[in-house]
Amino acid sequence: MEYSSTSLIESYLRTRKIPSTACSGCGLGINHKVVIQAISELGLGVADVVWGTSIGCAGRQTFATWKGDGFAGTHGRVYAIARGLRIPLPPEKKIILTVGDGDAFGIGLMHLIHAARSNADMTVIVNDNLGYQSTGGQFGFTTPQGAKTDSSPYGMFEHNLMSEGMDVMHILKGAGATFLARQVCMDGPIAVESVKKAILNRGFSLVHMPYPCPTNFASRHLGSRNQVNIYRWIKDHAAPLGQERPDTIWATGVWHDASNSRPEFSELVWNSVEKIRRTGAL
Amino acid sequence: MKRYLETGNFAITEGAILAGCKFFAGYPITPATELAEAMSYRLPQVGGVYLQAEDECAAMHLCIGATLGGMKTMTATSGPGFILYADPYGWAIGCEMPLVVMNSGRVGPVSGITGAPGQGEFYLTRYPTQGGNFEAVTLAPNSAQEAMLMIVEAFYLAERLRMPITVLADQLITDGFEDISVPENEEEMKEMGFRVWPRTFNTGPEFYPFTDALDIPPVQMGTNTGGLCSDWTPTPEGYDIEEVEAHHKHAYRLIYKVRNNRSLFSHHYEKKFMDDDPDLIVVSYGTPSRVVNTAVAAARSKGLKVGALRLINLWPFPDDLFTRKAKYLSVELNWDGQLVREVQRATPKDSEVHFLGTCGDLPTIPDLLETFEKLLKNQPLERKGWELEAW
Repeated sequence: MEYSSTSLIESYLRTRKIPSTACSGCGLGINHKVVIQAISELGLGVADVVWGTSIGCAGRQTFATWKGDGFAGTHGRVYAIARGLRIPLPPEKKIILTVGDGDAFGIGLMHLIHAARSNADMTVIVNDNLGYQSTGGQFGFTTPQGAKTDSSPYGMFEHNLMSEGMDVMHILKGAGATFLARQVCMDGPIAVESVKKAILNRGFSLVHMPYPCPTNFASRHLGSRNQVNIYRWIKDHAAPLGQERPDTIWATGVWHDASNSRPEFSELVWNSVEKIRRTGAL
Repeated sequence: MKRYLETGNFAITEGAILAGCKFFAGYPITPATELAEAMSYRLPQVGGVYLQAEDECAAMHLCIGATLGGMKTMTATSGPGFILYADPYGWAIGCEMPLVVMNSGRVGPVSGITGAPGQGEFYLTRYPTQGGNFEAVTLAPNSAQEAMLMIVEAFYLAERLRMPITVLADQLITDGFEDISVPENEEEMKEMGFRVWPRTFNTGPEFYPFTDALDIPPVQMGTNTGGLCSDWTPTPEGYDIEEVEAHHKHAYRLIYKVRNNRSLFSHHYEKKFMDDDPDLIVVSYGTPSRVVNTAVAAARSKGLKVGALRLINLWPFPDDLFTRKAKYLSVELNWDGQLVREVQRATPKDSEVHFLGTCGDLPTIPDLLETFEKLLKNQPLERKGWELEAW
């Protein structure tokens, strides 16, 4: 079989893991390609990036796809692992994490906030398939209001991080993230530009990338596994920032760009340690 | 050699630094707080990093991350924090990450009594995470000086076995002030039995060989070796695999790299008055063993044939020390009886195994002597309304 991304795959990915075992019609591969495309356009090589993943669809399907060094953390804790790794890792090496919405905005939210607070240099790509899909399709904390899932058969009625004017981006901005963007997986080259900016920020960056899950989310909420339906549904509910409509769920684009505006975590730590070691005080 | 009148926390900090520890992440908790404080003061002086984590779960994950980057790392807590290590502890076992975990026991369950010693995590340090299919290693010092030695030893074993090692102490050991000697050079370290093993990293392509061999270096990120590690069952190259046969091989390594290398442990136990086949063997570990040693010496002067067996290497449990048929008494800082169950399991089938528990406070010497006498005279044990044998 021929893939249009063959050269990207050959340069950056392990052919043993590509194609992944994702379901037919899954949008994760598109997000994955956006990230690889961004890395390629920045001229980074395999040795320049350490790739971390989490638990769930996004983590499992992207683990060990990167040709270089890679790790998969426990559920929700990969931000703490990455922050620890940031200390000994040479500053020119990038940490890129591909995680899911349950991992980042559910079980791992506290660790994510502390990674943002400390401005640890990492790029977190949150691949949001609108719930816990690898366990069969339960709602998550960015699942749209009213969505029917296996654990919300009457419709998801709780307050969540993407409803009633709330947006998880506000939390992360308040916590100190220095770059934040959201792109749905159909955003193509615009998404690539956002991911490039995220990687270039020497500090905490996060790109929220909702993508379609035909197998579970679409089959329950839209009543069909037809891939066109769910791709269209996500596209219809996304709009660029400033052009939101009443039914917009995902406002896309760069939410916050304070790139390189405050000292990066490991730089701050090492500078402080060095000063204490030399002078006995800060 | 430099002598100090200092706490166990001080001794542990100095031991960790001697062992090459360059990274400590912790979360304040009584009675391990002073250790974090000491690390925050001392580590930057030697070019190391102290991080205060958002919780204990993050603390050990931070250590894992720094280990993944090639540093020797350590974290410390007490019981309520130790249970939050369950998640990263399992990851560190599965990914075979060397690091050191210190637990200073207090009185539980849950928050219990914060400023008093307890031994409620005997089994928890054997099963610090879920899933089974691994062997854990726990060292239990009974003094500040020995805590320093055990921390150094834990760093040594962590490297050679490629796994997390737990040092289990209690509030009296970490908070108590004692006479402490700190070696000042390699020669003095050797003299005191301190062993150090350097960190190296695995260059692949087999990062998880199916073997019980020692000295396989860990995976390190940023080395461009293509190293992989994950929470899933690994293939030898580190890819995730859902296959029972592969997991069986992985589990074999996690269990038998410890079981088949018992000769690596150099601090198994301490025996007192054990040479003349005593009628009663008193088993203990940690702080209670110091009272037991005194009580056994007093019993000997009264003509009672009692011996003391103190365990230092708690896990894997030293079954081979319990081959003799005798009366056994387990003295522990808990009221439910934990060590005693393991003693019962390890001793010959029809051995008499008894239990004396206190918690938050040490047993007194008169209490112990009375218990020894009753046991040797085959009298029933009863104290303060507690049936001591009902463990």
